[in-house]
This record gives sequence, C-alpha cells and structure tokens, in this order.
Amino acid sequence: MNGFVQGNPLLCIGCRTCMIACVVAHEGKRIFEIDPDGYDFHPKLKVVKTWAVSAPVQCKHCENPACLSVCRSQAIYKNDGAVLVAHDKCIGCKSCAEACPFGAIEMVTLCSEQNSDGSPRTVANKCDLCQGLEGGPACLSVCPTEAIRRQDEETLSDTLKRKRVGAAEALLTLGAGDHQSHILKSQSV
Amino acid sequence: MTIEKILSTCVYCGAGCQILFTVDKEKNKILEATGANGVTNQGKLCLKGRYGWDFLNDPQILTKRLTGPLLRKNGRNSPLEPCSWEEAVGFVARRLTEIKKEYGPDSMLVTGSARGPGNEANYVTQKFVRAVLGSNNVDHCARICHAASVAGLLVSLGSGAMSLSVPEIEDAKVIFNIGYNGPDSHPIVARRIVRAKQKGAALIVADPRRTETARISDLHLQLKGGSNLALVNALGHVIIEEKLLDKTFIEAHTKGFEEYRELVKRYSPESTESITGLKPGDVRKAARIYASTKNSVILWGMGVCQFSQGVDVVKSLANLALMTGNFGHSSTGVGPVRGQNNVQGACDMGALPNYFPGYQSVTDKEAREKFEKAWGVKLPDKPGITLTRVPEFVLHPPTPEKKLRAYWVFGEDPAQSDADLSEMRETLHALDLVIVQDIYMNKTAEFADVVLPATSWGEHEGVYSACDRSFQRIRKVLEPPKGVLTDWEIFSRVSTAMGYPMKYKNTEEIWNELIGLCPSFYGATYQKIEKFGAIQWPCRDRNDADRGTSFLHKDGKFATKDGKGVFTAVDWHAPVEVEDQEYPVTLSTVREVGHYSVRTMTGNCRTLRNLEDEPGWVQMNPELCKDLDVKHGELVKLSSRRGFCFSRCFPTERVKKDAVYMTYQWWIGACNELTIGKLDPVSNTPEYKYCACRVEKVEDQNEAERYIKSEYSSIKARMGVDKEVWA
Ligand code: SF4
Ligand code: SF4
Ligand code: SF4
Repeated sequence: MNGFVQGNPLLCIGCRTCMIACVVAHEGKRIFEIDPDGYDFHPKLKVVKTWAVSAPVQCKHCENPACLSVCRSQAIYKNDGAVLVAHDKCIGCKSCAEACPFGAIEMVTLCSEQNSDGSPRTVANKCDLCQGLEGGPACLSVCPTEAIRRQDEETLSDTLKRKRVGAAEALLTLGAGDHQSHILKSQSV
Repeated sequence: MTIEKILSTCVYCGAGCQILFTVDKEKNKILEATGANGVTNQGKLCLKGRYGWDFLNDPQILTKRLTGPLLRKNGRNSPLEPCSWEEAVGFVARRLTEIKKEYGPDSMLVTGSARGPGNEANYVTQKFVRAVLGSNNVDHCARICHAASVAGLLVSLGSGAMSLSVPEIEDAKVIFNIGYNGPDSHPIVARRIVRAKQKGAALIVADPRRTETARISDLHLQLKGGSNLALVNALGHVIIEEKLLDKTFIEAHTKGFEEYRELVKRYSPESTESITGLKPGDVRKAARIYASTKNSVILWGMGVCQFSQGVDVVKSLANLALMTGNFGHSSTGVGPVRGQNNVQGACDMGALPNYFPGYQSVTDKEAREKFEKAWGVKLPDKPGITLTRVPEFVLHPPTPEKKLRAYWVFGEDPAQSDADLSEMRETLHALDLVIVQDIYMNKTAEFADVVLPATSWGEHEGVYSACDRSFQRIRKVLEPPKGVLTDWEIFSRVSTAMGYPMKYKNTEEIWNELIGLCPSFYGATYQKIEKFGAIQWPCRDRNDADRGTSFLHKDGKFATKDGKGVFTAVDWHAPVEVEDQEYPVTLSTVREVGHYSVRTMTGNCRTLRNLEDEPGWVQMNPELCKDLDVKHGELVKLSSRRGFCFSRCFPTERVKKDAVYMTYQWWIGACNELTIGKLDPVSNTPEYKYCACRVEKVEDQNEAERYIKSEYSSIKARMGVDKEVWA
C-alpha cells in the first residue's frame, strides 16, 4: 500500500511552517544565497482554513490515481510507493489537477524554464513524499505541534482497529436498543 | 570549510526558543538552523525561528543593511551621507549637549529596544539617559504593547510578569484565553495550549475572531470587540453569585474584595448581553468551568492591552484568579504573554520612564540613592514621559518649556509601528533632532539627522528575557559587517564624548554591573545561565542551588508591599471611537505569523516574504464582501478620520461582519495610517484594537495594482536597495 502524509486539524495551528519546509527541501539550501526571485516557491501542500478546520492538504498517493489515468503524456507515474510527476514530460494540460478529488495538484509557473514558444512553463505540482530527499517528508519533521504524521499500512490498520472497537462498543447503545434491553432483562432475571 | 555549531535564542518572540545554528566560519554564512532542546521549545521551532535568519545574508528585498553611519552634513534638507564614527558620535554628543543646555534634560527622549540588542544594551541605554542626560525620558515599545499588563499587575500582584512559566501551561486543567492569538504571535506557546488540550484541559477562548485557539476550544465566547471588561466583570459576578469562590484564599491573601463584590453586582451575564453580544448561558458556563479548578490559567495578549481600558481589564483578570485561589502553586495564575523577543527584558532593564532596572521605582529614595552611588551622579526623581506621548509633547506641549526637542530612536520604527502615522510624521518633522540607531534603513530613518548602524542579533553576545522571565543567552553566530558597532558601544562612545566616560569590555561586564544593582536578578550570573540554559527571575542567590523561580506568588504570598493581592473594582466603558454612518465598521490590528514587528527583518527573509508580502490582507466577513461586491485578492481602499491605505480583500467567516482586521507590518498596506492615538490613561497604550473605518471597492484594479508595484519600488529605492545586487 502507498503511504501518505496526513494533517490533524485538532493539532494544527495554521502556522504554515510545513509549506516553507516543503519548498526548502525541494529547492535546496542554495535558495538562501541566490537572487530572492531566482527560485520557485511552490509548496506541494496547502494549509486550508475554514470556520471549523485548519489543516494541510496534500496528495493521498492513491492506489489507482485519477491524475495518472487522465494524463495523456505519461508525465504521472508510480514509484516506490509514491505517485510522482515527471516535470519534463508535463505539457501543462491541467487534466490531472481537475481529476484529483482532493485538489492536491496545483498548476505552477516555473521561473527558470520556458515553453517552446518562449512563454513561462507551467506544470503540475504535487506532493512527492520528499522521495529521494534526505530526512524524509520535510513537512512532517518541522511541524511544531506534530500535526502531520505518515499514514502507512501499519498506522492505518491501527486506526481502523481502534475505530472498529469504537463501532462495536457503540452497538450497545446505538440502534440495537431492543436487543440490548433484552440482554439486560435476561441478566436481571 | 570550518563548520561550527552555535546555540542561541530566537529573536522573534517571547517564547524564547533555542536554535542551533550550523555555520560555515570561513564564508561567515549560516548553513542551517534547527530546534535545540530549550526549556520552552523542546526542539521545536516555528517558521520565523527556522527560516528567519536569512536577513543576516542581506538579500535586500525590502531594505538594505546599514554598514556605516550616515549624517545630513548640510542640515535638515540635505541628503544622508556616509560619515566616520568620530563625526557621527561628535555630532550626536554636540547636539544633545546643546539641547540639554538650552531646553533642559527633559527635552529629550530615548527609546530602549525590545528586539535584537539584548538586555545589556538596554541597561546601558537607560543608564545613559538617567546619568548623562539627567532625565527619566526613556521608554520602549512595551508602551504600545504589554504596558497595561505591567501597570495593572504591579498594582494587583506586585509583579507585572507572567506568574507561571511556559512549560507549566500544558499542565493547566483550565485555560481561559482572552484576547490572545498564540498560534500567530507565539506558535511555540500555542503548542503548549494544544498539548494542554491533549492532556484533557478545558479551553475557553474569548475573542471576536475565530482564531485557531478558538477553533479548537471547548467554548468560544465570540464577544463584540471592546467589551472585554463587561465580560470579565460578568464572570466575576457569576463566580460570586453561584458561590464558586475561594473564601479562605480571599480572606488570607487579598484585600479589597468587598468593594469589588458591590461593583460586579451590576454585571450579570443577562445585563451585559447587550454589550458583549454573548449568551448569558455561555458566560455562566465559562465562569463555572474557570472556577472549578486550582489549575486554571488565564492567558492574554494584545486583545486585552491595546484598548483605552487595557489596565482595567488586566486588573479585573487578576481579580478572577484571586477570587478562585488560582495563585501560589504550579500551572496556575496569570500569563500576559509578552510579544517581542525581549520586551520582557527591556522592561527588566528599566527602559521605562518610572523604573530603574529590576523594577525599582525612580521615586523611591533608597533605590535612587543606590543607583546614584553606583553611577556617581545625582539622578532625577520625577518619572519621565511615555513614548506614546511624544506626539503630544512635540506638537501640543502642556507648556512651551515642556516641548520635546530630541528623539533618539533605538531599534524601533515609530513611523511604521505607532498609531496615527500622519501625526507621527508631523512629529518627526517638528523635532529639532532625530537620531536613529538600527541595523536597517527604515521609515523613521527617513526623518533622521543622523543614522547609527549597529550589530544585529546573531552578531553579538548578550542575554534576552523570555516572556516567562527566563534569562537566556544569545551568542555571536556571524561576524558583523565592518563599520557597525554594538549598541552598547555606541551609547558608551556618545556618553564618553559628553563627559561621562563609559567603557565596557564585553556584555558580561555590563551584566555583572546590573545584576549587582538588582536584588531579583542578583543570582543570575552568565555562568549559571550557561550551566542551566535558562534562569527565571527572581533569582537572588549566586549559589547554584538557586536556579530561579518558575512560578511567582508561592503559597499566596504576593509581591506587593504587604504581601496581599489587591482587588480592583472598575466599570466598563465603550471604546473611544465607535462606528457611525460615515465609518461603519471597526478596524482592529492583529499579527501575521510569518512576520515580525515592522518587518525590516522578516521582510528581508526570502521564504517568509514568499509566504506573505505587500500590501497584505484585510480580513473581512464574506457578507461584508458581498455587500461591497469585492472578491478574494482584490485591492480595496480603507480609510478612517486619520488616513487611508490599500489592502487585499481576504474573505473569511472567522471574523464578524462589524469588524475588519489588518496586520500592522505592511508598509504599503499600513493600517496604522488609520489607527487612533487615543491612549489608556494609566499605561498610555493606544487603542489599536478599535477605531471606526470604511472599506471601499476599487473600480480600476489594474491601476491599483500598478500603484502597489510602483510604491514598492519607490520604498526599496528610498531604503537604499541596490538594484544591481542580483543582476
Ligand atoms: S506546520 Fe503543522 S501546525 Fe503549522 S500549518 Fe503545517 S501542519 Fe499546521
Ligand atoms: S511530504 Fe514532502 S513533498 Fe509531500 S508535502 Fe510534505 S514536504 Fe512536500
Ligand atoms: S515561537 Fe517565537 S521564539 Fe519560537 S521559533 Fe517561533 S518566533 Fe522564534
């Protein structure tokens, strides 16, 4: 199963340290030495804030990715448990961005690359789980409130187990009223 | 490559996080900053701590680093030109001496700095003002921030600081968070609130906005702006009426309760509903939860202090803690969480018009004699003028002899941070002498006769005081640019040139002088701070066994003269400038998490600038946006009786329809063009959180966008940004 990083709105304080960390991880520390307009600032996750929620939103690394199936130029591929975009193959058609049910793909304009007509190049941008980068997912490691965790087969199964226990216990009070009162009655006899 | 690891304290807020820098010594460059295991931060950092050191590289995004003194050699209307330190120091010393001779010592005011310089520099500053100028006219930006907390708590409890420490927050059972937006102002303090919640604490938030803390709270009291005191008195009312108070504590440790009980009789949740807009049932519930434990903590920030009734609210919050016995042990009490990294420190060091270092009053004969003896001069016994009254004392002095003539602005930028900017500009124009001491060109420097460049945080040694009274070391990480001096060296040179020789070898020598004069800091030597990482004052003994004090007022023994906590009974009154037909909504100024103060530092950090940049946002309720027909990202015009500015519309249901919110660090979208200079009568803090304003749609968006762009270029040019630097 592909893993993914997931935000927790009960812990997130909306500070967006994770968004900067994502850029620094991908652009490299060189950015602190170059022209302030000479690099791309395109975080691969976005912190969303509504009345009820603040949390980073990023790719779920789907098993059967909608983005991958709509891409006509084979720019999206799976590698070692992650769904990735090959920027050099991306033609900027936006189909993947439209197809993603989570809004996790954004079209971004690159500062140092051009299309064949000389216009600035726009490509699909999404979470790559920091694959190949030292230290693993950068967003997760910098979050001050530990509001981001990696969800993989094991953690997911833990979550599911916990939820099943909760659901089972809820059967005592929810929906099984008649049955339950019957049990209680027979106990009291 | 010589790589070194250097530990220091973050420069961006009172949380006092410890940062470990990896430095390439040969190239004099920081390679990385990571969270170190400090007492408050436990290895975590927010975005400013982690990426906010980039300004030390001088990328010239907003302004340019100053690397040598500047002087208007041919008078006021001539340009600022590079000069030598001898010329600059000579000029300052000569002009101050002339002004002192002609108009007296009280015709000058000098600021301390709550930002990079550190405690030692502030100590030297106030010593210079008191001993050399002969005045108590020294103050700093605590005045526009937590002055109300200091003034209020000194009366109620005898100590103006947080009674508990940051780590204790997470073991609170109840947190009453009022007018405090930790996630934006101190993310690492907010982390403790989140952890308290994880550990089962009940969280009550009183705020007109749905802040992040309000969002995760158990009870959000979304009160009408400007109604704090009505709410706090109503909470007291319920606690008394429902007999939730701690009679034993009140009898043993407090005074003034009867008068308070009489006053709050009038403040039932039902009778205050029309003021606060809160359901009486919610207020009752909040009071019950708050009074239910002995580990209830009250946290507050600017949403309490930046009102014309700030001091009254502070005292009334202390009332709540006093009447429920929430003092005297760990994880309880009151937490005015100090904003800037060293605003606690600048207060500790006596950069205040009424206190010597260590909160020893200038009117106290014994204290004065001690400082007179140590400094070898006669000292003034009359408290000085507060910084927010500078415009009044320049433009409309009470008598012509009392007019202020000279203003030495050290590490602040009043032409950006103070209320009612057009009045501030008029003030700076009308002064005879303006001295600016900073690391960057800034808006105030445009009015300066002389500009004195200093070393930055990261380039000098010293001690900061975190919001919870923790003394922690800052260390020299990089070599400063040639041509700048440490702040304390600048003051020492001017002082010497004025006939009062001051000479210090290093910050430790200054520190030793000052702790020797302050009983509550006496035990906090450099050696001990090094050894234990942080020492919280009071620390009275040099012995290693005295490692400072994590919480104040142990066993209900308060720091007041008679050891009693004092109840204060005060009535609520409405804010000064309320909405009307012409200006139908209220403006409140708030914080942007990724930017700091007047933005000269964070505005010059690449990634922080990427996240948010000029002209900034105005937070508006979606219904208000609909009424005005404005959309997300569109430029809108905001105006008040005092001025106008442009900002981008940010629709959010987290704010109510009657108020809009702007952050104060934008130079183009400068909300302080609109704010009102009306002051709290005791703390002299302006009412930044409430003035009447109007928001208008801008029809020609292209034109407005062009205006923003050209303004930004013009600012950069005026700030000396070198166009060719990245070409
Ligand atoms: S760093 Fe953590 S707390 Fe901050 S926005 Fe990202 S997920 Fe939320
Ligand atoms: S895992 Fe890496 S690529 Fe994905 S959002 Fe986090 S930092 Fe960005
Ligand atoms: S919370 Fe404050 S002290 Fe800590 S890293 Fe952020 S700005 Fe710095």
